[in-house]
Amino acid sequence: MIKTVNIEKTYVKGSVSTHVLRGITLSIDQGEYVAIMGTSGTGKTTLMNILGCLDKPTSGKLELDGVDVYKLNDDALSALRNKKFGFVFQQFFLLERTTALDNVLLPFIYADRYPADAIELAKKSLASVGLEYRIEYLASELSGGQQQRVAIARALINDPDVILADEPTGNLDSRSTDEILEIFSRLHKEGRTMVVVTHDQAVARYAQRILELKDGQVRESSVANPQK
Amino acid sequence: MKLTKTITLSFKILTAHRLRTSLCISSMAVGVAAVIVMVSMGRGAQKRIMDMIHNMGTNLIVVNAGHVTLVGGREKQSAIVTTLRTGDADAIMDHCASVEEVAPETSRKMNVRWESENLMTNIIGVTPAAFRIRNIEIEMGRNFDSVENDTAGRAAIVGSVIVEKLFNGEDPVGHQIRIGLAPFEVVGVMKARGVDANGVDRDDRILIPLNTAIRRLMRITYVQKIHIQVASSRQLQRAEAEIRQLLRERHRLRDKPDDFTIQNQATLIQTERESARTLTLLVGSVAALSLLVGGIGILAVMLTACRERRKEIGLRRAVGARRRDIRTQFLLESLIIAGLGGLFGAALGVFSTFLASALGGWTVIESWDAIGVGLMLSTVVGLVFGIFPASKASALEPIEALRAE
Ligand SMILES: Nc1ncnc2c1ncn2[C@@H]1O[C@H](COP(=O)(O)OP(=O)(O)OP(=O)(O)O)[C@@H](O)[C@H]1O
Ligand SMILES: [Mg+2]
Repeated sequence: MIKTVNIEKTYVKGSVSTHVLRGITLSIDQGEYVAIMGTSGTGKTTLMNILGCLDKPTSGKLELDGVDVYKLNDDALSALRNKKFGFVFQQFFLLERTTALDNVLLPFIYADRYPADAIELAKKSLASVGLEYRIEYLASELSGGQQQRVAIARALINDPDVILADEPTGNLDSRSTDEILEIFSRLHKEGRTMVVVTHDQAVARYAQRILELKDGQVRESSVANPQK
Repeated sequence: MKLTKTITLSFKILTAHRLRTSLCISSMAVGVAAVIVMVSMGRGAQKRIMDMIHNMGTNLIVVNAGHVTLVGGREKQSAIVTTLRTGDADAIMDHCASVEEVAPETSRKMNVRWESENLMTNIIGVTPAAFRIRNIEIEMGRNFDSVENDTAGRAAIVGSVIVEKLFNGEDPVGHQIRIGLAPFEVVGVMKARGVDANGVDRDDRILIPLNTAIRRLMRITYVQKIHIQVASSRQLQRAEAEIRQLLRERHRLRDKPDDFTIQNQATLIQTERESARTLTLLVGSVAALSLLVGGIGILAVMLTACRERRKEIGLRRAVGARRRDIRTQFLLESLIIAGLGGLFGAALGVFSTFLASALGGWTVIESWDAIGVGLMLSTVVGLVFGIFPASKASALEPIEALRAE
């Protein structure tokens, strides 16, 4: 369902240009659980942003369900991000002076239709990450682990096919990490495609397949765990 | 995107930044208030002018004894000058070809009694011509005629305030009153005319024949004013020159300055128009300036927001906001600030207009369209100054915005 052909990304900052991705060709199937690993600065976040249509490569092609994404206009890309993807970021990115509930409702505002039972759906989504008792809390009144779970609830609200998570546990302790990973496993079992960027082996162990990013190229890692 | 959701959202965001939002709103409010005051004052001035034209016609020249100066838009007559006589009025009538009618008058505040009631009011001695020149109409009873004036008859015509206060609303025609010590018979009641351009109540007065006033009541030899009607407004300037010439000769002034002041209605209206325009210009520039300040405030607040809220913008884009959604949201926030400013400004404007008329004595006319103009201007300012930050915010690429510190 996600397919890239020869994706290149070069950052130019002043006279310095960094050739981060040097021809990434990969494909991720529907329902797969994939971890993207690699040392810091190898371009994992860059690749993830490109896969989620948040960023565009310098060259190359991205296909989603057979559709050439770069032939779509900006509004269509927004719609893709709204419906197809659920994003989970390392820094959570919640609206601070806003309640957990309102944060989770955010994607609905930009959906084609604002559902009549939006609040119910949002509460359900919060309940599915175990936060039914924190609905009216402001984002800033929640712990890091709770904030990340709100972010996951938000990612799930539009029932996306793909969850894209960039170091989702990077700012969390081991207990919160375990909670998040449990939720991810469950989402995977429900049939969602999971793409998780991490440099933590423990996190990667949950994945069926590990893509190793090195020197701007990807290769399948041997430590994959296909029976998961 | 759901507009109501966006509006609620914008409100939440604005309340989160209370201080700068309210600063913005206040300067918008001052601007809108100034606009409203300006429009109301403009209308007031218009009314004063219309009033002057209606009550005196346009072909009028007024000669005052001594010097008349305008203080704060109101006439002020200097100390009593005794050189202006009824003879002057007759001479003007006889010698100036363009003059159609003359009406000398004199007035004094005196005590008036009827049965056990008494009050102080302006007693004005006039000739019958005054009724024609100054559009004074009789509501009940009759006018007095020139015979009554010549023979110094004791007839009085009262204003509606006198009817209320002295006669307790009763029909006064035929009643005997005493002005000072002299007995008079009330022969008529003037039609109510309201307050004049100088803030004087034109219904709080009693008219009596000029000769009666001069000879019997006040025992003086002079008059205070002569109203002169000219055939057409085109002849005003010439008539004024002729009258000046004539009066200077009659008063034997030679190289002394005038002991009278001539005002012609056209110049008075012109002066009135000019002072109204100056005032409108002044208030107008205050209005424009504060609207500009409000607009720049909005610009600054929204540009700051654009920078500070890049992460928020990025996040919204990441969860599916289109460029135009971001633009709409930012524009809405500007409009909310402008709109609230407009509403507070409308309240402030109505209040200051009220103050201006109550304390300052300005003739002002409150009107819905003044408020409408104010609100419309604030909306326009909100739009104009909101568009740039809004399009700037919407131009951000999602990933740039998310990465921002
Ligand atoms: N906007 C940018 N402008 C210039 N260079 C950039 C930009 N973003 C990333 N880079 C560079 O690209 C390289 C890859 O960055 P990226 O964030 O993708 O790495 P990463 O694999 O996610 O690292 P980490 O594990 O530390 O998160 C880095 O060398 C970084 O300095
Ligand atoms: Mg990274």
